Amino acid sequence: MDLLEYQVKEWFGKIGIPVLPSQRIDHPTDLKRLKIRFPIVLKSQVHGAERAKAGGVRFAETTIDAIAAAQNIFSLPIWGELPEVVLAESQYDANQEFYLAVVLDTAVCRPVLLGCKEADIDWESAGEKMHYVVVEQEFSPFYARRLALKMGLQGTLMQSVSSVVEKMYELFVQKDLDLVEINPLAVSATSQVMALNGKVRVNERAIKRHPDLAETAAKIISRHTSTEINGILGDWDGVEMHGKIGILGNGTGSVMATLDLVANAGGKPGVCLNLRHAFLTDTTPTTFRDRLATGLKILEADKSIQVILINFMGSIPQTEEVVEIIARVVQQDNNELKSQVVHSNGSKNRQEPNFSPLVVRLAGSEFDAARKYLATLKTPSNALLVVENLDEAVAAAVRLAKATANKK
Amino acid sequence: MNLKPESKVLIQGFCEFISGTHVAQMKAYGTNLIAGVNPGCGGQELHGLPVFDLVEEVIEQFGAIDTTIICVDPYDVLDAALEAIASHIRQIIIITAGVPPLDMVQLLRKAEACETLVVGPNSPGIIVPGKILLGTQPSEFYIPGAVGIVSRSSTLTYEIAYELTKAGLGQSISVSIGSDAIVGSSFLQWLQILDEDETTQAIVLVGQPGGGSEEAAARYIAEAIDKPVIAYIAGKHAPPGKSWRETGTLATFIGRDPNFGTAQSKLAALKEAQVPVAERPSQIPELLRKEIN
Repeated sequence: MDLLEYQVKEWFGKIGIPVLPSQRIDHPTDLKRLKIRFPIVLKSQVHGAERAKAGGVRFAETTIDAIAAAQNIFSLPIWGELPEVVLAESQYDANQEFYLAVVLDTAVCRPVLLGCKEADIDWESAGEKMHYVVVEQEFSPFYARRLALKMGLQGTLMQSVSSVVEKMYELFVQKDLDLVEINPLAVSATSQVMALNGKVRVNERAIKRHPDLAETAAKIISRHTSTEINGILGDWDGVEMHGKIGILGNGTGSVMATLDLVANAGGKPGVCLNLRHAFLTDTTPTTFRDRLATGLKILEADKSIQVILINFMGSIPQTEEVVEIIARVVQQDNNELKSQVVHSNGSKNRQEPNFSPLVVRLAGSEFDAARKYLATLKTPSNALLVVENLDEAVAAAVRLAKATANKK
Repeated sequence: MNLKPESKVLIQGFCEFISGTHVAQMKAYGTNLIAGVNPGCGGQELHGLPVFDLVEEVIEQFGAIDTTIICVDPYDVLDAALEAIASHIRQIIIITAGVPPLDMVQLLRKAEACETLVVGPNSPGIIVPGKILLGTQPSEFYIPGAVGIVSRSSTLTYEIAYELTKAGLGQSISVSIGSDAIVGSSFLQWLQILDEDETTQAIVLVGQPGGGSEEAAARYIAEAIDKPVIAYIAGKHAPPGKSWRETGTLATFIGRDPNFGTAQSKLAALKEAQVPVAERPSQIPELLRKEIN
């Protein structure tokens, strides 16, 4: 989950990383009670990148200018997002600008300190200009000094940059971060350092053990759609593709393998969900059965999904309840068809189910009873198919998707 | 590493990923389950096991423990593992999913210093068919044989085993290292173990998007592994990006490819290492037969 700039600067300020005097503006009239001195810069607080180019960064020398600029910024969407907060900050004259970061590197399984004497660097060509130090063992300030020296810094500047890196690391560990970045770190003519802009990415798994963050995350979830959540929170226990066959499974690899099999068989996978773990968007604990119910709802609501392929293998919790949910979904139709409104084009094809057909693949002895039970259900033709072999299940789903496509 | 049937095994924690059925399955398989540790429940009995508050209490009563299977809640895993290491347990299997990566970093620093094997997190564990089950892998899909399986997946691993069993190709060892970004033992370690294991004649590697372990494995196979290896990578058709719990999206730092972590990148690495890759799980047995002959 990425924090907004003003939140990042709040954290920097608290941990002791030098930041400019700034004030959070929730409404243009707040600028009448501005506590910092002009000239100031007003910055749109959005998640999108390159906001300066989009007009999200304005300078102002007087209160009237500032209010006008703020009004402008508040109504300017950047990458589809309107800012709820504008940050007013003092201007600063930098002599030099550096890049610093602490990031968790998954190849070496350790946090890595990054530093470069150029800010806003192009990653593809950074090469040798980007210096790094791997924090092998428990952190100690000498790791930060190593980085500063690698960057070619000396004397007081080496010490002050090193000190900033130490603070960044402290924040990194304290808040379970994937990334903390200062870009740029301004250096004045007198070797004073100042974090002009920063980025903080919190590890999604750890959010629940940080009450202040759990609130922010919950707010993001309640306000945005799933694709937007994917961008901000960065994780999703599923895949959003635009296709006709929705997939539910009990394991990440298993769901992805099913997706591949469907694609290889000429089908088009749609939304695919892994039910084995709690969804990121679950703010309270859920059970497997809850996630199945939610998953089915999501797939049924998606108009492009015409067939739902469920692949459960091995063992799942609440097996009986899960089977009941499946049974209910496929039997629903018998009662609701009678009160079904006739289609607007006048067709009175009442034999057609008003929900997607289900192909359910159940493998493993724990499902023996389930398979038998589901076979006894009275359902409209093609509403439910229970198979034990995965390749067969995939072929059936692809066939059904093609058949329903011809009907509609 | 101790995978003998007599080795003594402990279970720490009883969260949603382990059930009475799993415990019964392990016992039925002959695993020497000694006790459970669940703070606050000392003195009780759960799933037929005596429960204690501290690992050291178990050691006091039953002597040294070889392996612990950790199923505590995600934020308690580091503590449980450190407790196990402090009691000289040298094999730790972490079933729990959702462990914060920085906790794993701390654990790995300690485990490496104490030469302790960590499998997982988010792993259903290890099974040596016919001998021992350490975890929640469903034993019904396995039969003893000569094919070793090393995988990052959970359910997909059983799918592969099932295909092999149906084709009459039994398994020597099956281990899931978990799909997290930061895991304990790696593909490389297990490939080496399987290469040296006398019962194993061929290896199946199961991968998925995220990280670079399959790429590293491909290079290692080309350099150092003599036995035939077949690979299967799931997620070829999944859209790339920040999905599937991938952390460390720093592909472009330190000169890494922007393709880093995609199924395509893994398939390319395996092709370069001349490792045959199956199109679907049911194709693995035929590819194996070709390689073995």
